[in-house]
Amino acid sequence: MSVAFKSAVDDGVIDELRAITGDPDRVLPNLSSRVNRTRVPAPFPVHRWAEFMPDVALLPTSAEEVSEILKLANRLRIPVVPRAGGTGLSDGAVPLRGGICVDVKLMNKIHEIDLTDRTVTVGPGINMLKLNEELRPHGVFYPDDPASYPCSLVGGRIGTGGWSLLGSRFGHTRDLVISMQVVLPTGEIVEIGEGGGRKLRKSSTGLTLKQLFTGHQGTLGITTEATLELVPRPELEFSAFFAFDDYMKAYRTTGALTRSGLATLAGVVLFDEWKLRYLRRDDEAYIPQPDSVRAVVAVALYGTRAEVEPAAQRVMELGRVDGGKYLGDEISQGDWASRHDRYATPLHGRTRDGQVAPMSWHCEDAALNYSALPAVREEWHAIVERYSERYGIFDDWGMFAYTSGPYKPWADYLVEIDVGIWEQRLDDDTWAGWVACKREIAEVALKHGGSITACHGATREGDAELVPTEMGSSWEVVKRIKAALDPNNIMNPGKQMLDEAYE
Amino acid sequence: MIFRLGDQKPPDARRITDDVIQRFEHVYEVDPEMMRDFPQQELPAWDTQRIVAARWDHLDWMHDHFADDVLKLGLDSETMPDEEET
Repeated sequence: MSVAFKSAVDDGVIDELRAITGDPDRVLPNLSSRVNRTRVPAPFPVHRWAEFMPDVALLPTSAEEVSEILKLANRLRIPVVPRAGGTGLSDGAVPLRGGICVDVKLMNKIHEIDLTDRTVTVGPGINMLKLNEELRPHGVFYPDDPASYPCSLVGGRIGTGGWSLLGSRFGHTRDLVISMQVVLPTGEIVEIGEGGGRKLRKSSTGLTLKQLFTGHQGTLGITTEATLELVPRPELEFSAFFAFDDYMKAYRTTGALTRSGLATLAGVVLFDEWKLRYLRRDDEAYIPQPDSVRAVVAVALYGTRAEVEPAAQRVMELGRVDGGKYLGDEISQGDWASRHDRYATPLHGRTRDGQVAPMSWHCEDAALNYSALPAVREEWHAIVERYSERYGIFDDWGMFAYTSGPYKPWADYLVEIDVGIWEQRLDDDTWAGWVACKREIAEVALKHGGSITACHGATREGDAELVPTEMGSSWEVVKRIKAALDPNNIMNPGKQMLDEAYE
Repeated sequence: MIFRLGDQKPPDARRITDDVIQRFEHVYEVDPEMMRDFPQQELPAWDTQRIVAARWDHLDWMHDHFADDVLKLGLDSETMPDEEET
């Protein structure tokens, strides 16, 4: 079997690609177009930038063009990496073996708004903020709300199996995609949904393929159209932040809030002591807080006024039962609003001697059960402290745990440890140190019965190597699916250890 | 509006914490002693105030984008009185 391991893009391929698009301006072999489609916000070995550049970037405008591109790539065994907003916190859109970058940003149209069956059908290049601006006059909302809300795109959300700030209330990306059109690695254009109907939320016909094509990190095809859920636009938002003098009090309060049964509960967030130390250093809301504020619990509700007003009273009761102190309307509302757009935050960290340095933001995530949160927190911070002390360019920015179960907020958490990295100081030695640090963090998540990622994707060097371990006995099934759908391994090769499917 | 250069010089700083100073009300800044390797850019007063105001505009926009209204309880922080007592 011949698989795509080395790019074969030459002038002849460029000419064929230009013939497919019929528009030379949408075939971009120039250096700046490639450089700008190399990395994502996740920490990156900047000293090895050229190793990860695609050989050419394309901007298709239709499924038919994408189909022809993949047929060409499949015939010539050229790697293909799909790219939407390029805002991922993992490396899904980073080419590991050059090849063709299929950038879907021009496929950004709204094809249909169906207010009767409550769906909107879009291209993968549309941004959720822009989509919701169009939906607002109709009184409906597409509630997929990542921290990259103003800049990430629907196609990337599907490819990475995105997680939403409002997921406990409305579900995450995979719950909000009703059906989609996908171009398979071999070029066939297929409709993927629940059974056959494009707008059906539940069917028992055949196999449920929709989840297979959500969160595959561009390894199984390219989504070219998606039919999405519409919910009534919320009448009322309520957010409340409670401060605690002890982590375990905050932990217990988090549990109580998630078990409250409040249907409007969109999310509960638990910030640990290390996060409070970081916030007290650099965040306007926490700098003036007394030393007794050592952990914080944040809650957000969305829904009708008739639902949210009484639910807010219940939240205020539960938040104070174990000694929680309300941080006030200004902090509660301001801090909550800022969470829709964490990418607007300029980042700096501190060196070991306290000096400010520009740092990129790495958030190593995991999916963990409620019972594991206190122990994992201790182990993760100990790991980061050890590597920070040794290398001097990492900075522990604390941890949070965020309700992660769609519609069922009581047991699953997205858990992140945020680490600042002084990228300008990266070299082979420090990058290897960082990769080892990430691997240790991921191993702790597995040891506690978790998953190495709740939303960012297991494509990062360091934790990607653990995908077969986490998948366990199902890994053989995963490899068979990959090899069957992508016989020449052209789709995002090298990711998630899926090369093993071709051994 | 008359632009007077003298008005654009930030007021003298007062210390808030070991890490933080304040020159404008509600605007916290890292202690310059901690920015020896990467010094802070000098900004005229109007530019600092513009950036802060834009941040509040952005947050207000976000609230309006996600829901018709925001439920306010009319409550201040319950943590700050502790600090005043100590």
